[in-house]
Amino acid sequence: MFSIASSELIQIFRNRLVLITSLIIPAAVSAFFVRQHETYADLGSLGYIAAIVLFTVAAFGLYATAVTTLASRRQNLFLKRLRSTAEGDAGILAGLLLPVVVLTVVQVTAILTALAVVAGAPANVALLVVAVLATVAMMIGLALATAGLTNSPEHAQVTTLPVTLGVIAMASWVGITGTENLAWLKRLLPGGAATELTMNAWNGGVAVTDSLLLLAPTLGWVVVAVALATRLFRWEPRR
Amino acid sequence: MSTTPVIEVERLNLTYGDFHAVKDLSFEVRPGELYALLGTNGAGKTSTLEVVEGHRRPTSGTVRVFGHSPDDRRAVRPRMGVMLQESGFSPDLTVRESVGLIGRLTRRTDDVDRVLDVVDLTGRAGRKVSQLSGGEKRRLDFATAVYGTPELLFLDEPTTGLDIQSRDAVWATVDRLRENGATIVLTTHYLEEAQQRADRIGLMHQGTLHREGTVSELTHTLPGVIRFALATPVPPLPLHAVVDADGKVVVESFELQKDLHLLLGWAQDHAVELRDLAAGPTRLDDVFRAINS
Repeated sequence: MFSIASSELIQIFRNRLVLITSLIIPAAVSAFFVRQHETYADLGSLGYIAAIVLFTVAAFGLYATAVTTLASRRQNLFLKRLRSTAEGDAGILAGLLLPVVVLTVVQVTAILTALAVVAGAPANVALLVVAVLATVAMMIGLALATAGLTNSPEHAQVTTLPVTLGVIAMASWVGITGTENLAWLKRLLPGGAATELTMNAWNGGVAVTDSLLLLAPTLGWVVVAVALATRLFRWEPRR
Repeated sequence: MSTTPVIEVERLNLTYGDFHAVKDLSFEVRPGELYALLGTNGAGKTSTLEVVEGHRRPTSGTVRVFGHSPDDRRAVRPRMGVMLQESGFSPDLTVRESVGLIGRLTRRTDDVDRVLDVVDLTGRAGRKVSQLSGGEKRRLDFATAVYGTPELLFLDEPTTGLDIQSRDAVWATVDRLRENGATIVLTTHYLEEAQQRADRIGLMHQGTLHREGTVSELTHTLPGVIRFALATPVPPLPLHAVVDADGKVVVESFELQKDLHLLLGWAQDHAVELRDLAAGPTRLDDVFRAINS
């Protein structure tokens, strides 16, 4: 697994396109939100900024990159090659995804730390960590499922749009309008509950037990995504 | 040496939707032998090989490699090297990185530089895979297959696209592995290679094993051939022959030595020149051509 992960890391840094979409764009967008935090705190709250940067990095840096990587490795038969070794399927997937997951977590941590430094620390750091990890898990699951529907890295530019735009729209919708209206709908759609959890962790003022219930929809999406992935994921290109 | 088969295939069936690619196929490969799985296009040999390699699950039937299911990667893969028909390397990794990565994942140990030297890619070690020629990619593929000197080697059209020097180098390496007792499974469209090197041949056609045996067992089912050309009109030939308009003669014979002797005696007696005279057993090509007839 770690052999695959280190070779993936080399490939990410050698491929400028992947480097730009997975690292530079999310970092630039996040830097903008952190810099303009007063404007966006007025619009929503500091928790909203935390949620929007989390989802920007998770959607572009993690989800879209993971789908593109898996589609590309399948298309050039690298997945088949890896499967002709002694490594198991789980180890292969873990190795392929580990670098982008680690980069995502490092990026999110760095950006949220920057936000905390310029705008004040979050109310509940532990809960924030839980929210970040649940979001990462959900996006990995969705990436595996989407990769099954994606034939090529070019095709990934289309197949990743619904989820990337969808979760960022959810983060903004929930972050700006709250969950007083349409609470169930907002919490059940992917990203809604995770946004609310992130905002509660950053802004405080909500009982932790109530907040933890918000994990259920996010973890539910992990289960749905993994179930879809086991049906949809393919190791070799369609003939 | 153990005589337990390295590969056992029993009543293997493989279907894709309505298409029955492999039908009730049974064969075994014994330790130390070079078994060539040959066939016409679409005969099912790649499908069969993919099941034996563990890339595809059979629709029914059993396949054992070293007594294990091919799915049992931890048990089987460290003992076998696979040269795939299509490349499957990451274009952004270098040659050295690719051999190192795939080599480590086989759980065998070897020296990357030694393996690169074997396939004559030392000078390309630092190049990205995307910069290699087709033949160099085949050699890279071969390098990962022989990394750590496996006991079993799958070679799926190993020499396609290789120049003659590279081909010879590949076969020299395979010969060395065989001296150490390795078992080889080969598919190829170069029938000469199979004819020269295979201990046994399985000839597939339409999803089944059409014929199986040693090269001489396969070729003995068809007559040997004597060919020559006649420049001038001659007395009647001493044996049955087909003569075309240009004077080219073909004689088919199940008793090659006797008929050749008869022919040469006749030519001597009548002072006939047999131009471009050639005589030999049936080639594997002819066995192939006979499949559909």
